[in-house]
Amino acid sequence: MKKAIITILITVAGAFLPACHQIEEFDNDPRGNFRALWTILDQHYCFFKQKNIDWDAVGEKYYNRVYDDMNSRELFEVCSDMLDELQDGHTNLSSSFNVSYYRKWWSDYPQNFNLRIIQENYFNFNFMVSSGLTYGILTENIGYIRYGSFSQPVGDGNLDSVLSYLASCNGLIIDIRDNGGGDMTNVEKIVARFITHRTLMGYILHKTGPGHDDFSEPYEYYLDPAEQGRVMWGKPVVVLTNRSTFSAANNFVSIMQYLPQVKIAGARTGGGSGMPFNSELPNGWGIRFSGSPVLDAKGKSTETGIDPSPGCEVAMDPQDEARGIDTILEFAIKELQK
Amino acid sequence: MRAVPHILVSILLLVTVGVQAQEVVRPVTSTYTMEVGRAHLHDTYLTPLGYDGLTTAITYRRAQAMKFNPERWVMQLNLSAGIDYTENPARNATMWGAGIKAGWDMVYRWELPYGLTVGAGPGTGLNVGALYLTRNQNNPVSAKVSWTLDATGYLSWRTRVLDIPVNIRYQPSVLLTGVFFSQEYDELYYEIYLGNHRNLVHPAWWGNYFTMDNLVSADLRFGGTWLTVGYHNTIVSTKVSEITTRITTHAFVIGISGEWLSLGRGALPSATSKIISAY
Repeated sequence: MKKAIITILITVAGAFLPACHQIEEFDNDPRGNFRALWTILDQHYCFFKQKNIDWDAVGEKYYNRVYDDMNSRELFEVCSDMLDELQDGHTNLSSSFNVSYYRKWWSDYPQNFNLRIIQENYFNFNFMVSSGLTYGILTENIGYIRYGSFSQPVGDGNLDSVLSYLASCNGLIIDIRDNGGGDMTNVEKIVARFITHRTLMGYILHKTGPGHDDFSEPYEYYLDPAEQGRVMWGKPVVVLTNRSTFSAANNFVSIMQYLPQVKIAGARTGGGSGMPFNSELPNGWGIRFSGSPVLDAKGKSTETGIDPSPGCEVAMDPQDEARGIDTILEFAIKELQK
Repeated sequence: MRAVPHILVSILLLVTVGVQAQEVVRPVTSTYTMEVGRAHLHDTYLTPLGYDGLTTAITYRRAQAMKFNPERWVMQLNLSAGIDYTENPARNATMWGAGIKAGWDMVYRWELPYGLTVGAGPGTGLNVGALYLTRNQNNPVSAKVSWTLDATGYLSWRTRVLDIPVNIRYQPSVLLTGVFFSQEYDELYYEIYLGNHRNLVHPAWWGNYFTMDNLVSADLRFGGTWLTVGYHNTIVSTKVSEITTRITTHAFVIGISGEWLSLGRGALPSATSKIISAY
C-alpha cells in the first residue's frame, strides 16, 4: 500500500512539474503584438544600461498610441518609432510591407566616401576583383584593397592571391568605408594575415537572464595567425573608415586598431558592437536586435563607434571631391609614404 | 567473423511444442516501424512562439529475454531517427526539428492472469538533435543533446481479435535523471565556437528536464510476421538558464515485427528446448 501511494505521488508530480515550465503568450492583436515586441526587447536587448534608456517609460509612451482597431501599417509605425528610441542600427522590425531602420547613426554625418572617384581617378577602372575583394596598386606603389561587405565571402586562396600580388608595395590601404558588416568569420580570416602571434581580439559576453543587468563574465577570445604557408602582411597598413563602417566592419577596426603596424584613418565608425539576435511577434513580424555585446581588446565597448588613430581623423573635402580627389585616401597614401 | 545463420521462427508454432525446461532459447523480437503525426515545437531561445506541424520517424526496437534470468528479465533496445517540419502561427516561418535516439533498458516482468503481463525497470538513453529556425540569423539553432537514466514499464495483454492473436501493449517511460546540454540564456553558438564552454552541461531532474514517452501498440500476429500498429506520444519539457523548451508529438505508428532465433552453426533448438519470448 505504501509503495502504491509513493508511485501515485511520483506520477502526479511528474504530470504537474512540466506545468511549471510556463511560456508567456501574447494575443495576436495590436496590443498583444506591441506587448510581445516590448517584452522581447525588455528581456533580451543588451544596451539599456549603456545607453541609459528607461524602457518602462518608453513602453508606456508608445503603448498609449496603440488602439484595438488600428491597421498593420499604423501598428508598424508605432513599433518602429519605439525601436528608434534604442538608437541602434542592429535593431529592425520586419514585416511583409516594410523593414524599420534606425538610420541616424550614419544619416546625420557626411558620407566621406565616393566609390566612383576611386574607381575612375585612381585606377582608371583598371582594378582586379578576387571574390569580395577589389584591389590594385596605386601609382605611389601603395597597395589598395576595398572590401565592401563582410558578408561577401573571402577565402584563404583569395587572400593569398591578393597579398602576394601586392607584396612588392611599400604599404597597404584597406578601405572599409560603407562596409555595413557581415560575417565575423571573415573578420578573423583577414586579421589572421596581419598578426604574428596569438592575439587577444576582444571580449564577448551574453545575457544570462531577462534582467537588464543579467550578463555573463566577459569571455576573452583570441586569434591565431594564419596557418604556415599562407601569405602574411607585416608592412604598414592604413584602414579607411567612415560612419557607415558598421557591425562586423566596426569589429574589424576594433581589432586592427591595436596592431602596431596599423593606423585607422578617416571618420569615426558607425559602431554596432552588439551581436544581433532574432525573434518574432505573433503576427509573424520578425525583430532583430543587439543581444550579445562585444568589447575590444582593452575591454571598451565600441557600440557607438571607434575614433580614428590620433592625428588621423580626416573628412572628405567637398572641393577635393568635386575635383575627383579622395581626401581620406590621399591622407592614407601620405601616411604610408612617411 | 563467423557467419551466423538466422532462422525466423514463429512463436505460435514453437510454444505449442511440449518442452522440458532444459535448454533455454531466447528469440529476439524485432520491430521496424514508421511514425507520422503532429508535432509542437517551442523553444524560447529561438522564438517566443510555438510552432506546429508534421512529425515523422523511423524506429527499430529489439527485445530479448536476458540470459541470467530469462523468465523475469527482458532487455530492450530502441533506435530511432526523426524529423519534424513546423510553422509559426502566422505561417511565414519554418522550424525544423531533427534528432536520433538510442535507448536501452532492462525490464522485470510479472505474468498475471488473463494473459496480462506487467513489467518495470531502469533504462538509459542518448538523444542527439536540434531545432533549426530558418528565419533567425545568429541564433538559428538550439541543440538538444542529453544522456538520461529512465524508468520504463509496460502492460501487455495477449488476446484474440477476430480469431487473430493480438498482443496489445502500453509502454511508458519517464526520465529519472541525467545530464543535458544547453547554452545559456542569450549565448550565441558563435561564443561557444570561440571557446567559451562554461555552463553548457546541466544535471537533469524533473524540475528542469521532464521527458515522457508513451507507446500504445498492437501486434497482429498473421503467422511469422506481425503487423504492428499504434500510437506514440512524446513529451519533452525543459527549463534551464531561463530557456524553456517544449516538444510534443502525437504519431500514428505502423510497422512489422517478428521473432528471430540467432543460433550457432548446427545448434538448432531441440524438442526439449524451452522458448522464452521477450513479449
